[in-house]
Amino acid sequence: MRAHITLSPKQLGFAMLFVALGGAVGTLIRDLLLKINLYAIPRGTAVYSSTDWTHQIPWVLLAINTVGVYVATDLLRHRLKHHDPNDPMRLVLVTGFLGGLTSYSGFFVDLAAIWHLTIGGCLLVAAGAILAGLSAGMLGLGRHRHRA
Amino acid sequence: MTLSLVSIAGAVGCVVRYLFEYVVRRSHPTNRPWATVAANALGAGIAGYAAYRLIGTDDANIRAIVLTGFCGGLTTFSSALAIPVILQREHHWGYAVALITTTPLLCSGMFVVGMSLAH
Repeated sequence: MRAHITLSPKQLGFAMLFVALGGAVGTLIRDLLLKINLYAIPRGTAVYSSTDWTHQIPWVLLAINTVGVYVATDLLRHRLKHHDPNDPMRLVLVTGFLGGLTSYSGFFVDLAAIWHLTIGGCLLVAAGAILAGLSAGMLGLGRHRHRA
Repeated sequence: MTLSLVSIAGAVGCVVRYLFEYVVRRSHPTNRPWATVAANALGAGIAGYAAYRLIGTDDANIRAIVLTGFCGGLTTFSSALAIPVILQREHHWGYAVALITTTPLLCSGMFVVGMSLAH
């Protein structure tokens, strides 16, 4: 994995293209998934309480990010283990697709919304997200027990 | 229409992140993902700025393109945690803990800086 790499302009162009392709698809899927409204309440049946901070928890993004960590760990540890960082498969799947699919910045935007309602809740969600990601990563490691 | 622009903005964000990684790795061969940390911090900063600027904007499209698209593509959660988990497995505990703790702290710091710049 440790490699001293200088790509030719043509190789770099292809690498950027691979990343862009994966990133475009990943971002598109995240955007579509984020349109899911978990608290959709039929009009006229209930009053939506926007002061309930639990309604601000970004469950969909948390799920996307957690699954993303699992898949990335699994790929980097197993299937792509011996591939260098500029391997097309790795560029498309990990740097592009999973990088585009998961989002750290979107998470902070959601956390900021919770912060306005409850600071404790905000810290709880942040810690939960990281713990969930770490657990998913450990799960991704453990599928094959053999040591390299 | 917005959907394709969000997708393109995400692709651009990912390419910028890749270029960070490429430049770092070219000048300093390493498998330590400090370029990813930098991309996440930058993305969080831009998101803080943009989120503040776009509060109350009726145009949800520009919000989606900048925040969901560009910033979302520039930042990554998957590599941010997958790499430290792998480093830990390879017995680089110090690096793993440093990455796991500095990334959120740095990103929240940058998010606040971005917001105050927009203020």
